[in-house]
Amino acid sequence: MRPVRRGVGLTVLAAALSVLVSSCGNGVIDKNTDGVPPAEATGTLRVLIPSFPPSTKGRDAFQKVVDDFQKTYPKMKVEPDFATYKNLNEKLSTSIAAGIPYDVVVTGVGWIQPFASKRIFEDLGKYGVTPDVIKEKSTAALIPAATYDGKLYAYPLIADARAVALRKSAFLEAGLDPDKPPTSLAEIKVAAEKLTKRDKSGNITRSGFDLASATGFRQSFVTFLASTGTPLYVKGEPNFDNKAGLDTLLWIKSMINNVQPYGQTNAAQQPLVLTGEAAMGIVNGGVDCSADGIGQKNCDDLKFFRFNSGKEIEYVGGDLASIGSRSRHKEAAWSFIQTLTKPATLDAIAKLNKKVPAYKDAGNSPAAKSNPLSQFVADGLVYAANENEVPANWLEMRGNFDIQLTQAVLGQKDPAKVLHNLAGQSR
Amino acid sequence: MSTTLERPALTSTRKVAPAKGDRTLIRGQVRAGWALLTPALLHSGIFIVVPVIAVLVLSLTDYSFGDSFGWVGFTNYTDLFRDPNFLASLWHTVLYAIVVIPISMAISLAVAIGLNQKIRGLGFFRTAFYIPTVTATVAVATIWLWIYNPGSGLANGFLSLFGFAPNRWLADPGTALPSLMVVGIWQGLGTKIIIYLAALQGVSRDLLESAQLDGAGRWQKFRNVTWPAIGPVQFFVLITSIVGTFQVFDLVYVMTQGGPGSSTRVLVMDIYQNAFQNLKLGYASAETVIMMIVIAIFIAAGRLLQKADTND
Repeated sequence: MRPVRRGVGLTVLAAALSVLVSSCGNGVIDKNTDGVPPAEATGTLRVLIPSFPPSTKGRDAFQKVVDDFQKTYPKMKVEPDFATYKNLNEKLSTSIAAGIPYDVVVTGVGWIQPFASKRIFEDLGKYGVTPDVIKEKSTAALIPAATYDGKLYAYPLIADARAVALRKSAFLEAGLDPDKPPTSLAEIKVAAEKLTKRDKSGNITRSGFDLASATGFRQSFVTFLASTGTPLYVKGEPNFDNKAGLDTLLWIKSMINNVQPYGQTNAAQQPLVLTGEAAMGIVNGGVDCSADGIGQKNCDDLKFFRFNSGKEIEYVGGDLASIGSRSRHKEAAWSFIQTLTKPATLDAIAKLNKKVPAYKDAGNSPAAKSNPLSQFVADGLVYAANENEVPANWLEMRGNFDIQLTQAVLGQKDPAKVLHNLAGQSR
Repeated sequence: MSTTLERPALTSTRKVAPAKGDRTLIRGQVRAGWALLTPALLHSGIFIVVPVIAVLVLSLTDYSFGDSFGWVGFTNYTDLFRDPNFLASLWHTVLYAIVVIPISMAISLAVAIGLNQKIRGLGFFRTAFYIPTVTATVAVATIWLWIYNPGSGLANGFLSLFGFAPNRWLADPGTALPSLMVVGIWQGLGTKIIIYLAALQGVSRDLLESAQLDGAGRWQKFRNVTWPAIGPVQFFVLITSIVGTFQVFDLVYVMTQGGPGSSTRVLVMDIYQNAFQNLKLGYASAETVIMMIVIAIFIAAGRLLQKADTND
């Protein structure tokens, strides 16, 4: 009798556990709605999106997209997760691990290829959007970043373009001509050294050039390297372990603590040239010239230009919307992306982020026309450069670049060895 | 002879079946024991044994949140020992533990001895020392970020009073980790002080008075009475400190993100970044296994140093 009773006990325990586990599982995962008429589809569409700031304005703008989407999917709820680029991967990986993946995922340049290779994103070709189709609708600069293995895995939302700005007054004060901005790395260094102000102890009080690299030198290295006509990667293969790469890294090293203290940033995370803390430097894709922003007088003191050490370039990142391959609402997710990519919505997102919409002819967009910097970067999208065709382990390489370039710049490691290591780690 | 006399008695216990009433009682006790143990066993099984097994299994795979994964044997382990980020993280963590643990234990013990005296404002001091422990690390880190601000921070202001040049603290690879250690020591004092204080209050007054009657001085009383009496507590503080310092993460995450470069990168941060930013869960699992082994080595070393009672 005893073995039987023990067996019964174990069976009851196993059954209780399985009920517990299965109830946990079924509680959060919706039924598949693909193939269900939109008017009948029910469930929750989970959207991971760094494109809307979690402020009241951002939430209101997002709600308008939801309202529009629910005209087609009236019974479908939308659950936004207003992530930042800093915690995007954590959100994504923990959602997969927890078994509640996102349906719509907005990422940036460099994310698509690694995720597509892991089959975390859905091929948008299933919904009739291929690289050839998107060429007619979106800015060309972001299409390679949304493509993997010849297929399109993301729809561009907004372009995050960077230019260079100088303070005319600072240039005149230093005896430089603001109408002839330095564009090559060598010219920029000469001008920056003249523009740098120091106190009696030799501490920098105004930087000559803001490399916008307080958290890492990856993007600035990519930008400076591209301006020499050398893309970081070509077809996934490293293209920086060479003379151009080394010269660029040594140039950055010669600038830090010479024309700008390492790690310099301000509380508002604003480009330092806009606040007057630097005489020249990298700026994002928009400036608020109103009294709520930096003011018209400050705006008038700015002149924008692009890097050109052999090739005129403008660093362009951007927001790219994808469908999660584990979504149970793929059709609804596609419908949501269609709503999200309506020109009026893209204009709203661009305005909220001081960036430019990623639709074709962004130069004529309201965002571009709203301020001189956005107009400048929108007109310069043809000069777009970024990490180019990154390797499959780019998510890992992003961190490696930030760490190891910093070590080289701060003199902890030999720059040539750093580039060699990074090239070896890229695969 | 006595042994041979006892053995048959034990054997006979096995052979002679207990009375029916006794059997029922024993069976009831066994059932009650299992019933009482079940919640703890379930908890340990679900939240300790299963995750540990999962980590061990994952560490042998290349799982990266994708649709599929493959067995890679010990490749993750061999790769780790060629990974400069891991090696730097391991070194920084060990260094952090070696510096923070003894200093914080010594300061805590000294403060606890002070707080064990009959002095004015005892309640205030006890509360003041415990506040950092109950304050959220993010808030603590934010305050210390301001203290270490190279431009307008309190640390440089204090140094300037003595004519020292300003330091870049967290922005300098040479001073970033020591700066974090200072915060770690400061933040960990409260808990240790409370534990030491409780232990000090438990030291036998009789023994202390006897030592005094025998002519022992303050140091001799401390060395020969107090110190041995708080031995088990020292061991407890040491173990919790080892585990705590090896798990340091939030402080680093908020204050430096492991930088400049990898100057303050620590093991848990490296594990976190490999798992959730680089999406290399298999690799991060191997790192976790190594961390567990290193912690075990440190605890074993601690046991040897403390000559701890191993009755457990």
